[in-house]
Amino acid sequence: MQKKKLKNIMHPPSTLVDAPIGTRVRIRQLRHARPEMSARLRELGFCEDAIVRCILKGNGNIICEIQNSRIGLDNNLARTIVVSMGE
Amino acid sequence: MRSEDERETFRQIALIGNPNSGKTTVFNALTGLRQKVGNYPGVTVEKKEGRIVFDNGTEATLLDLPGTYSLAAASPDEQITADVLLGRAPRTSVPHLVVCVVDACNLERGLYLVSQVIDRRIPLVVALNMTDIAAQQGISVDAALLERELGVRVIPMVARKGIGVNELKQALPNTRSATGKSRQWRLPEPVQRECEELVGLLHDHHRLPDTEAFHEAIELLTADTALLEKNDRYDIELLQHVRRDHQKLDFLGIDRSSVFFVSRSGWIKSVCSRTVTRTFHPGMSFSDRVDRVVTHRFWGIVIFLGIMAVLFQAIFTWAALPMAWIRDGFDWLDAVVAGIVPPGDLQDLLIRGGLAGVAAVVTFLPQILFLFLFLGFLEDSGYMARAAFIMDRLMGKVGLHGKSFIPLLSSFACAIPGIMATRTIDNPKDRLATMLVAPLMSCSARLPVYALLIAAFVPAGTVLGIFSYAGITLLSMYLLGLVAALSMAWLFKKTLLRGAPPPFLMELPPYKLPSLKSVFFQMWERASSFLKRAGTIILGASILLWFLASYPKLSDATPAQQLTYSFAGRAGRMIEPAIKPLGFDWKIGIGLVSSLFQREVFVSTMGTIFNIENAGPGHQGTVSLRQQMKQDRDPTTGLPTFTLLTAICVMVYYVLAMQCLSTVAVMRRETNGWKWPLFQIGYMTVLAYAVTFIVYRAGLWLGVGG
Repeated sequence: MQKKKLKNIMHPPSTLVDAPIGTRVRIRQLRHARPEMSARLRELGFCEDAIVRCILKGNGNIICEIQNSRIGLDNNLARTIVVSMGE
Repeated sequence: MRSEDERETFRQIALIGNPNSGKTTVFNALTGLRQKVGNYPGVTVEKKEGRIVFDNGTEATLLDLPGTYSLAAASPDEQITADVLLGRAPRTSVPHLVVCVVDACNLERGLYLVSQVIDRRIPLVVALNMTDIAAQQGISVDAALLERELGVRVIPMVARKGIGVNELKQALPNTRSATGKSRQWRLPEPVQRECEELVGLLHDHHRLPDTEAFHEAIELLTADTALLEKNDRYDIELLQHVRRDHQKLDFLGIDRSSVFFVSRSGWIKSVCSRTVTRTFHPGMSFSDRVDRVVTHRFWGIVIFLGIMAVLFQAIFTWAALPMAWIRDGFDWLDAVVAGIVPPGDLQDLLIRGGLAGVAAVVTFLPQILFLFLFLGFLEDSGYMARAAFIMDRLMGKVGLHGKSFIPLLSSFACAIPGIMATRTIDNPKDRLATMLVAPLMSCSARLPVYALLIAAFVPAGTVLGIFSYAGITLLSMYLLGLVAALSMAWLFKKTLLRGAPPPFLMELPPYKLPSLKSVFFQMWERASSFLKRAGTIILGASILLWFLASYPKLSDATPAQQLTYSFAGRAGRMIEPAIKPLGFDWKIGIGLVSSLFQREVFVSTMGTIFNIENAGPGHQGTVSLRQQMKQDRDPTTGLPTFTLLTAICVMVYYVLAMQCLSTVAVMRRETNGWKWPLFQIGYMTVLAYAVTFIVYRAGLWLGVGG
């Protein structure tokens, strides 16, 4: 746990909130505190290895495209989705 | 209830699918108008059933289940879907067959649900919907191949255009036992081994059939290790075993929470890769372009406010004409009744008790229809999800979800459709908080009260030469309701209904032309349930009210004396000490008592009290009623009964008080009990009394019309 924290401080992993508009990014990890929330995200297509594209950033929420649909989610939720830039 | 029992001998078919997969369109196409809406016992989820008549004359019941992404439920709606399919729902028989509607543009997500149903060995037919939109996006699905992969019938359709509906209908009676191929997705070796072991144990220890044991095993293996302690369904030995499994898998570095999902979706991806061909990727789609503007930080809000302005315009202005027709219709009916029934108590009961009460409510039918027409169009076009998206931040500030906004908005027309519209809110606490504050929004029934008092007491004149005092007062009343609703929601979410607002996560369906048919279906459904209520509860209440205002009889009295002498009049006098601190006298007291069930009755009661001829719920007589109210003096002090301050206090009271029997009835139905409606009446009365008191005292202190 301690190690993980330190690692986070040194290299804060980028999350969906940081993804630039229009760029396709790959989901690495879902780390919501409630497993059922991560499960819900997976059912909507936000699963590990999936490709997602952020379309729009609004007031405290974002819209992104995943699989073939458009999903709106708030920034707090988007922050639990760890992504890596580039496919 | 009887007829439902008889129908159980017919075949039961259940309709499931992802939200926005066109499930309702498929339902309407299969059943036409042979639908009925009810509630599931014990929960407030709407139960919608219809009858399908097949070509050979046989019939089946089609049950429209709430849209869901998976059988692992998150909201009460989705719980119902899972319960019905797994035979756990009380008084609802297990379906013989399931039709799963899958959006062809989103096969992967749809197949996730399909594969869960197949795993449960439930007979299934897949309705592959919206193939036309998929084609426009360059997606084509090989239905025949998909059929072979899954082992169940796959019917390509465009339900909105009626394409494929007959094929689906013909396929239904011939798929009695199409349970599909047994589980095709594979788990990683160690997980598979533990799973099999656990299935064996569940089988031996708890006599679970294999399919169910497999799903229980998944649940046990996915569960949080700490939560196993609390599991009282299984014996200690088995739970010990599960705990060891958890340690083993965790040691191997397997993510127990996602391994089942990843395995299943891996197989689904491979099926999709074989059956879906993508000929081209469209560039920026129409929806993309629209969304750029509609969900824009700034323009999004401007467009949203514009749409709301048109909505209000429709509800308040365009609906006025049909409302006048309905009023004329009732006047004509009054005349007919007066012609048949001789004057006397019976005529009085029929006209002033029954007809007047029902007329006062049915008059609002056009407004309700307009509201649902608009909401239907917004919903069907895909805009509604965007509205929730735009408003989420504002609603989040008071602890509510973006989805709570639409019900509150609808409540400006009438709290009843508003409360019914809360059904889409997943979180039960959020839903309850929204329902509790919805009646604080100024509904159209308050408008006649505001209109009468403002016209009589608010002086003419303008601020800055544009805004009239009257307009500003009216606007303030609407704002007061809005502010009260948001503050109370915040308070409830902080205290009684504690809990963080659920994260906002919502699919934004592609924009499309709304289908007139489904919008009209919805309007029809709402209108008929509204009329049914007017014919039963409201009719009963208005007869009761008429009785209280007409008896005991006083011979040779003017209507005003009669009303004063009646039960309602006595009650008005009786509550005078209680309402005195608000600056209300017994005449207003009678108004309060008589409008206990329906706010707008205040206007006609004032008409009767101030002895005006022809002062019905309509507008005739209100001009002279204003004069009368202004000139009325207290016989002992000689001071005017009504002042500007009293008028404002009465309005404030009417903004905040729950004076609507229909709302109470709907609350009772939606929350399945008396607890919440009674709480709502209580808190609103206290709030109305307290705020009115403060306004009155502050007004006296400031010297406004003292």
